Amino acid sequence: MGIESLIEKISDKGQEGFAGIWEDEHQFVEAARKTREAGVEGFEAISPFPLHGIDEAMGIPRSFIPWVTFFAGLTGCAFGLWFTWWTSAVDWPIIIAGKPMWSLPAFIPVVFELTILFGALSSVGALIAICGLPKVEPPVIDATLSSHRFALFVPKKAKGFDQQKLTDLFKQSGATEVKETRF
Amino acid sequence: MSASTHATRSAPQPLVVSSRLKTISMVFAFLGLASFVALLFMNKERAWHAYLTGYFYFTSLALGGMFFAAIQHLSKAGWSVNIRRLSESMASFLPVAFVGGVILLIGAPTLYLWLDKGAVAADHLLQHKSGYLNMTFFVIRLVAFFGIWIFFWNKIIGLSVKQDETGEEKITSKLTAFSVAFAPFFAITYSFFSIDLLMSLEPHWFSTMFGVYAFAGLFQSTLAFLVLLVIYCMKKGVLTGYVDENHLHDLGKFLFAFTVFWAYIAYSQFMLIWYANLPEETVFFIHRMHGGWLWVSASLIVFKFIVPFLALLPQRAKRNPNHLASVAVLILIMQYVDFYWLVYPNLDSHHVVFSIFEVLVWLGFGGAFLMTTFRFLSKNAIIPRKDPRQAESNHHHVVY
Repeated sequence: MGIESLIEKISDKGQEGFAGIWEDEHQFVEAARKTREAGVEGFEAISPFPLHGIDEAMGIPRSFIPWVTFFAGLTGCAFGLWFTWWTSAVDWPIIIAGKPMWSLPAFIPVVFELTILFGALSSVGALIAICGLPKVEPPVIDATLSSHRFALFVPKKAKGFDQQKLTDLFKQSGATEVKETRF
Repeated sequence: MSASTHATRSAPQPLVVSSRLKTISMVFAFLGLASFVALLFMNKERAWHAYLTGYFYFTSLALGGMFFAAIQHLSKAGWSVNIRRLSESMASFLPVAFVGGVILLIGAPTLYLWLDKGAVAADHLLQHKSGYLNMTFFVIRLVAFFGIWIFFWNKIIGLSVKQDETGEEKITSKLTAFSVAFAPFFAITYSFFSIDLLMSLEPHWFSTMFGVYAFAGLFQSTLAFLVLLVIYCMKKGVLTGYVDENHLHDLGKFLFAFTVFWAYIAYSQFMLIWYANLPEETVFFIHRMHGGWLWVSASLIVFKFIVPFLALLPQRAKRNPNHLASVAVLILIMQYVDFYWLVYPNLDSHHVVFSIFEVLVWLGFGGAFLMTTFRFLSKNAIIPRKDPRQAESNHHHVVY
């Protein structure tokens, strides 16, 4: 099997949908707000840079990743406590400096680092998972979206999808281009 | 974006301080003075320990206010311009602190064992340290510290106030330069100030981390006081259009970070001494790990770190003024407990000695601190008037 056919096989095909493209960021944020207000749910915004207020305009709730970090951190903390106890007081007890087998002050750094390690790696893992990464050769709506233009993409199966209504809404709110595409 | 950033802004004015607040701070100051004098007659040693605790607490807050302003200048921060004047106001306690330091010299022989000639003559270690720990050098250092602090206070706060009138942009770069110069001076002077006044209470003991431990508490409590000051002014409506929950959010993050920093430093100091287990180092913790002092030590871990840590963790906690204010109050109380824990075992290493007198003497310094702080705020606009970075602060928006 050649490398190209392999890439073809594992590449991300995206989903069918409808996109509008804007030149102006303020119009774009407004358009996102109107799209949400029109009852569309589960659409995407693509921008070359972070936009203030886009989360709120699209009605994106706060991410649940902080909870992943919190509970993974707690897990790391508990694991660190258990593991230092097991290694130094159960599995291979050695008296060091005449201190008790399981001397908490000596193990706080280990527990602290494991808390951070578990919390950090789980956050990154959760981020990768909910973004559906890695994506191999995902479909591109328009190359200019990585330099100076902005797009809204509504998948066909999104709630409230109505191509005619979306065309009107996008054009009225300043879209310079609308098209059927995959993303 | 959020509607609050579009609120109307009126020109920044000095704060109109209510007569009630003025009366309360004067009553505090008077009660403190009266209790101190009463204590002097009842128990001289205890009076000076109470004095040192309150004195160090509020001198640290004053320096902390100046330090906060300085790091905003040296990092060229824009977000904090609208709250900077409030931190500057805290530093106006410094001249009073100098007078308080001179008064402390009267009590020094009562507080410090190394000033007792008989004790030094009988103790090899104290003789060894007498090159540093002696009255003359102590006075020279104290005067030098305040000389340096008051010089920078004149520059860093004086120039900032001057810019309100002239609006010169050159002042902003001068402020950056003075703040950069202040940073190392502050690090050195405050470390030695804490070594002289607090660490030398136990002259046999030494800890290479004591300076940074004192600094960690200083900055944590400074941020807590600043949070309260900002929320107080917000509730009075004088910061409308300039300061909103976005500024609180960043102050809350600062408070959270330095709560963790304090715990990190406190633990590091303890762990190094515990691990090495050298008698002249462990003496400090042995007093604080037995009897009632054990509970005071435990309360520091729980209420100066664990509770504020969890209480400041959620995003909403940092954007909610009432919640943030209650955490700030807890931290300010625990900062008192921290200094009490540093000072009082020197008075009685076996029993926890505490009564209303300790609280009143501390309140006395608090009253003087509030008087100087609000006097400054009633004389100057509570928001810098012509800072070139002000627009950045007016539109401050925290997204995460």
